[in-house]
Amino acid sequence: MIQFSAVTKRYPGGYEALRAVTTQVDKGEMVAVTGHSGAGKSTLLKLAAGLERASSGNVIVSGQNLGALGETALAVLRRSIGFVFQDHKLLFDRNAFDNVALPLNIAGAPRGDTGRRVRAALDKVGLLAREKAMPVSLSGGEQQRLCIARAIVNRPAILVADEPTGNLDAGYASQIMDLFVQFNQVGTTVLLSSHDEASLEKVRCRRLELSAGHVVA
Amino acid sequence: MIALFRQHAQALRSAFAKLFAQPLVSAVSISVMAIALALPLLFTVLVKSAFTATARLDTEPHVNVFLALDAGPEDVKRIEAAIRGNAAVASVRFISREEALKELRANSHLAGVIDSLEKNPLPHAFTVRPGPGSMEATEALRAALAALPKVDSATGDQEWARKLARAAGVADRVAMAVALILGLAVLFITANTIRLQVLTQREEIEVAQLIGATVAFVRRPFLYFGLAQAIFAAVLAIALCAGAVAWINGEVRALTSSYTSDLQLIFPTTSFLLGFVGLAALLGLCGAAASVRLQLRRFAGRPR
Repeated sequence: MIQFSAVTKRYPGGYEALRAVTTQVDKGEMVAVTGHSGAGKSTLLKLAAGLERASSGNVIVSGQNLGALGETALAVLRRSIGFVFQDHKLLFDRNAFDNVALPLNIAGAPRGDTGRRVRAALDKVGLLAREKAMPVSLSGGEQQRLCIARAIVNRPAILVADEPTGNLDAGYASQIMDLFVQFNQVGTTVLLSSHDEASLEKVRCRRLELSAGHVVA
Repeated sequence: MIALFRQHAQALRSAFAKLFAQPLVSAVSISVMAIALALPLLFTVLVKSAFTATARLDTEPHVNVFLALDAGPEDVKRIEAAIRGNAAVASVRFISREEALKELRANSHLAGVIDSLEKNPLPHAFTVRPGPGSMEATEALRAALAALPKVDSATGDQEWARKLARAAGVADRVAMAVALILGLAVLFITANTIRLQVLTQREEIEVAQLIGATVAFVRRPFLYFGLAQAIFAAVLAIALCAGAVAWINGEVRALTSSYTSDLQLIFPTTSFLLGFVGLAALLGLCGAAASVRLQLRRFAGRPR
């Protein structure tokens, strides 16, 4: 499903976040990327979701070499991958419903279909009653769940989450991890990063440990 | 294909939502653009009207030869032969005194006065067109014809009409230059409005691109916005121009009625106005496209 072949990511200034990483995530698998801050977890996830391009090596997602795709094709591919951002990236001038509807609008989904699917996604994360709420009125955990609803509304085959429990207390973190397990149980490939060992211990998933841009375990 | 159509419909809705979200700001932008568009349109109306007026004037050089009142048919034949025999003459038209009186009665308000006359006061006349040559050659021809026996006078005073036609030509060029400059103004106003819109929505654009929006998807609502704004401005410019023409024509009519003239400003045809709206729309579209392209390029160059 996701393949990394000798992938190196070098940022302007010469800093190498990933160094010749070779690994793969199989279809329907749930993989947690762990490691200390600056180990390259977020970079690996962004490369897998087509948010950034590798400096060298190949990233292949669903059979497509992302390095060979043009900007438009890459944007279209991103629609099939749900991404949960560490900083949520919610639109604070739009209510919960409109935030979740954004990926469907981008995909040109019919209006009636949009309403039904947005409510289903909000229901899945337990925010159906708050569809008209503005993000600023939601708690940190609710904002994270809203971000997850936006990531799953397009029914993606791959769900990528960057530190989804990063700023949450133990109770909320556990709820969020349960959601990812549920998505994985229905066949969604889940790739998430976390340094929250307590949350990961409760989840059965493969670990991929990074250190200084290398896969160490 | 259906999804693309839906995306266009959604972009159009989004553009109108932006336009009406800040009605005062939109009204000011549209008004400024409308004024920039109305000025060349009004100038075009003035120039076209001047062209129409000068087209009615005989601007080709010619000499009018008026015979003495006692000149008889034999004199007419002799003078006509003398004129035709002049190598500098290209063509000749004879206007009998009866024909001249008839024309005067038809083209003036003096029918009552003319009817009260005991005899026709007008002379026989020839309108002589000289061949190609200088003003001096025309003047020499006029002097030669004036010297013929039984010729009362010969006049050639068309130079003012030629100058007027030339002035109209210059005004046409000036109108085009003004249109070009103000067209650029419309382009820049649209580009600046779109630039502000893009900057205001930077966060939304970046999030949309992260979750799969193509550049075309992001650009579309702004293009529709620029297009809609320019079309509204063009329609308002036409309304402003129509009002100005109607107002000016009131005075022009009052002025020219005493000269038995129907001179007035002529409002452009529907096809011209449709072309004008189309051109304004194109300017709006180009301004929006250039601006959004530049801004998105700047976003891409900055770290998220």
